Amino acid sequence: MRFEWEVLQNENPEPMALFSVFQTTFLLALLSLRTYQSEVLSEPLPWAPESLKVFINSTHQCLHLQWSVHNLAHHQELKMVFQIEISRIKTSNVIWVENYSTTVKWNQVLHWSWESKLPLECAKHFIRMRSAEDDAKTPEQSFWSNWSSWEEVDVQNSLGHDPLFVFPKDKLVEEGSNVTICYVSRSPQSNISCYLEGVQMQGEQLEPNVTVFNLNHVAFIRETGTNIYCKGDQGDSIKGIVLFVSKVLEEPKEFSCETQDLTTLNCTWDPGSDTGLLKQLSQSYTLFESFSGKKTLCKHKSWCSWEVAPESQEMYNFTLTAENYLRKRSVHLLFNLTHRVHPMAPFSVLFTDVSTTNATMTWKVHSTGNYYTLLCQVKLYGEGEVTQHNVSVEVDGEQLFSGLEPDTEYRAQVRCANANHFWKWSEWTHQNFTTAEAAPSEAPDVWRNVKSVQGHSVVTLFWKPLSKLQANGKILFYNIVIENLDRSSSSKFLSIPAPANGTELNLDQCSYQIHVTAHNSVGTSPASVIIVSGDPGNKEVEEERVKGTEDGFSLSWKPQPGNVTGYIVEWCDRPRGPLCDLQWKSVGPTTTSTVVSSDAFRPGVQYNFRIYGISTERVPYLLEKKTGYSQELAPSDNPQVVMSNLTSRSFTLSWKDYSIESQPSFIQGYHVYLKSKAGQCHSGSEKAVLSDDAVCCKYKIDNPKQKTFVVENLQPESFYEFLVTPYSSVGEGPHGAFTKVTTPDEYSPILIRVILPMVFCILLIMIICYLKSQWMKEKCYPDIPDPYKSSVLSLIKSKENPRLTIMNIKDCVPDSIEVLNKQEGTRKSLTETESSKPTYLYLLPTEESYSGPGPCICFENFTYNQAASDSASCGHVPVAPKAPPSQLALLTSPENLLKALEENYMNSLGEIPAGETSLNYVSQLASAMTGDKFSLPTNPPEPALCSEYKMQMAIPLGLASPPSSGSSSLSSFTLLDEGEHYH
Amino acid sequence: MSYPLAQLCLLPLLLSPLSPGAPISPAEPISQAYSLALYMQKNTSTLLQTYLQYQGSPFSDPGFSAPELQLSSLPPAVVSFKTWHALDDGERLSHAQGAFLALTQHLQLVGDDQRDLNPGSPMLLAQLGAARLRAQGLLGNMAAIMTALGLPIPPEEDTLGVVPFGASAFERKCRGYVVTREYGHWTDRAVRDLALLKAKYPG
Repeated sequence: MRFEWEVLQNENPEPMALFSVFQTTFLLALLSLRTYQSEVLSEPLPWAPESLKVFINSTHQCLHLQWSVHNLAHHQELKMVFQIEISRIKTSNVIWVENYSTTVKWNQVLHWSWESKLPLECAKHFIRMRSAEDDAKTPEQSFWSNWSSWEEVDVQNSLGHDPLFVFPKDKLVEEGSNVTICYVSRSPQSNISCYLEGVQMQGEQLEPNVTVFNLNHVAFIRETGTNIYCKGDQGDSIKGIVLFVSKVLEEPKEFSCETQDLTTLNCTWDPGSDTGLLKQLSQSYTLFESFSGKKTLCKHKSWCSWEVAPESQEMYNFTLTAENYLRKRSVHLLFNLTHRVHPMAPFSVLFTDVSTTNATMTWKVHSTGNYYTLLCQVKLYGEGEVTQHNVSVEVDGEQLFSGLEPDTEYRAQVRCANANHFWKWSEWTHQNFTTAEAAPSEAPDVWRNVKSVQGHSVVTLFWKPLSKLQANGKILFYNIVIENLDRSSSSKFLSIPAPANGTELNLDQCSYQIHVTAHNSVGTSPASVIIVSGDPGNKEVEEERVKGTEDGFSLSWKPQPGNVTGYIVEWCDRPRGPLCDLQWKSVGPTTTSTVVSSDAFRPGVQYNFRIYGISTERVPYLLEKKTGYSQELAPSDNPQVVMSNLTSRSFTLSWKDYSIESQPSFIQGYHVYLKSKAGQCHSGSEKAVLSDDAVCCKYKIDNPKQKTFVVENLQPESFYEFLVTPYSSVGEGPHGAFTKVTTPDEYSPILIRVILPMVFCILLIMIICYLKSQWMKEKCYPDIPDPYKSSVLSLIKSKENPRLTIMNIKDCVPDSIEVLNKQEGTRKSLTETESSKPTYLYLLPTEESYSGPGPCICFENFTYNQAASDSASCGHVPVAPKAPPSQLALLTSPENLLKALEENYMNSLGEIPAGETSLNYVSQLASAMTGDKFSLPTNPPEPALCSEYKMQMAIPLGLASPPSSGSSSLSSFTLLDEGEHYH
Repeated sequence: MSYPLAQLCLLPLLLSPLSPGAPISPAEPISQAYSLALYMQKNTSTLLQTYLQYQGSPFSDPGFSAPELQLSSLPPAVVSFKTWHALDDGERLSHAQGAFLALTQHLQLVGDDQRDLNPGSPMLLAQLGAARLRAQGLLGNMAAIMTALGLPIPPEEDTLGVVPFGASAFERKCRGYVVTREYGHWTDRAVRDLALLKAKYPG
């Protein structure tokens, strides 16, 4: 009965309660059937599994079963099927049933393995099995043997006594797989939490002391593994495991084998992305060749070398296996060795017979067996061109290059491949060579510049260096032959070493033919001929304006009717520089237009182009002139303006020094801006608003050569500001500083017209006066006559009167004046202020100093001679100048003299204020002539001797009792010198 | 920087017990051992932190501590003050000698473990190697002190035996943690031991 129950368990290990009634009925029926069968086949099957042993591999969570089948006849083979049952925790809990079919031989030990998802330490497992003959005729194995007894697998028993265990230890899984983890606790009262990288996990209790955690799709975290740990809440020590998560091992890609020398195969592959495992856990690669059965463990992750069998095996069938703990990946490769030849790069590349246009290249290839032909590819690079040749080679290769350029470096390269079964080209092998030089093929392009200096022609020859293609080698020198066309006998030879590109020749006014040839080490170029005419022939040609663009100047000219061998366009790259950097461009005779472009062209610079035609006689003659800007720029400078003719109504502006040629664009005219306070613009101007919002009048001058302008209609005495700025098609000059001007008033010019002549006249008069000063002096300021030199003296002498002499000063006996009564008066106060001397003035020597009688009486009294005192000059006696010199002659007669004296005396009297002072005048002369005091000498000679005198006498009215007395008049004569008045 | 410095310090310490004419006075070896222990003390926490940093969670979690983790093959350094004070010089030196002997072997084991588990962390491996060298230096120095004091030097023992080789990766990480932690604790205790000796035998 036990048997049937077990069968029942097998058939339906987990009966459902819902169908229990039906099951019972069904079971009863089945039981009766089984009982019947057992009765029919009373004997059990003879090939029941025996000696079942279970081996445990905890690391791999594997159970290995080993058993045998007895009763098999010797050499008998029997196809059998073994049904294996695995239960967990208890035998009734069957978790796995598998039928294992195999052919069983006599005495064979059978093996079967099962991997548990749950770590074996987490629960007990039970295993049993039974067998049947695997007969195709009876597919339903109705005749099973008896079950073997349950084999119990209990790993927990051997764990030890730790309170907590976590399984599986150090498990290696692939990324994305599912892992089951459990812990086994020996202290049930402890509450245990488990964490994966710090995050608590939720588990299911499998047994009271075992909890299971199912991790789905585990992720790769780090190479060193993922920590999973558990710990109890009662101070238990932590326990954990490290789960090594590997990335999925990839199948090797691009697996390929080839040989270079037919002795070693080199197999390569792409291992794919790294599995992210520690080195000791990462995959290994194995190469297996099925024909030879050889196997090799590859040392490297992406390549492996394989020794080719010496017995010349042709076909190879390789299996490359990548394997780690989890997975095994294989790729296969079947090939013929000769089809996988990757030749080594050719060597010994040499060039022989290198001429100007030809060269022969030879090379060697590595031997890959005598019966292999290689196809070699030769490429030649030179002067930007590539040529390719294919050559069939067995041992040595050879290739002739022709049509090469002289003196040119070429780069040749060669590579080879198996000609019969192309697999891969070898690496290139490079080598350079240079062809030989040849004579220059073209004449140098020559041009000239002719200047006349002091009757000589200074001819500067220019030539352009030959291009590499034309030079055919290194140009060493240029030869110049100058032939005089007028005197054919004389010619001159010059050799200019390269790399000169010009020379200067001093020639006379004759015509010369100049040949220029370029020479390299091999030969001479054709000659370039140019004729320098004695007649410069620079006819006047009108200049035409051209508009340049960024690409250059497009120039065209009229075709010449005569025979022209070509045209030359000449210009300067740097027209403003001291060396204009002459450039030229030669074009053919049929060309009448060209585009001149140069990197040197700059915006705002005027370029002048001259177009020459070259006659059949090689004589260049000027055809046209063009001028233009590659790009016009607005004028950058304003002219320096000079203002003139300033009147109250106008002024003139001029800027003669302004050069319109050196401007950054073609000047079309000028704008004159005038700012005024009135702000009104007259006709001929328009209102303009400047950038600073100032309003002014703008005059426009359309002619760039008109460099003067008259600003009119101005207001007198007004303030104006003006600015002259040029304008061109691209704009006008800067609005810089205005010049200030104020108009004068209207009348000043008239006044100037009057005053200037007047000043001139006065100056003229003054000059005349100066020139005629002598005459003027004589007329206006005659000299005071010198008594010694006077004509009177000579008159006297002529009369020969010995008694008459000229009186000396020392001979004068001064008179004394005694002031008897002094009264206050205006004169006194004046005297006091002028001098501190007492009023009583001692004017002349007293009696003691009197040295004897003299012929002349002289006295002076400042007090009473106001005129003398004020003028402080004796010579400035008003009487004297008024007396004409002719009067002196009148004095010679005593009557005239007396009369004159009396007149003077009376004049003096009239000047004296009456009754002021009482003076006692004592004349020295009179005292000497006692008794004859008042008597007038009948013939007094002395006064006649004094040619100059001064009337200083003041006689009080009281004393002048004899007013008619002539002696008093006579005593007032003085001959004092001017300086002595102040004593 | 610290590694060559340690080498320089260790050189005389390693040589001293080998020299036949060792000084009778224990002050000098005590002083040398004390200096070395102080120097080691400065680096123990760095070693522990570096070690934990490379082990992943929970070891690398901030503030990780698992005092319950112990190794039977490694004597714990924790001792009550009374017990420690009651020990005589010979016992203290003997305990320390035994502990550092075990530590040198364990540090070697941990170094080997980490070479497997963390092959890409040369800094950790270098620090473990330096710690082992210093522990050996201190051992030699303590032997010199014991010789100077006339104490018997305990024989070298294989404290590890055959036990540790089957450990799982997690167990090895735990083991390394205990060793680096105990290395710090024993260094602290050695500083105290040697300070006491230094006070007894002033130079």
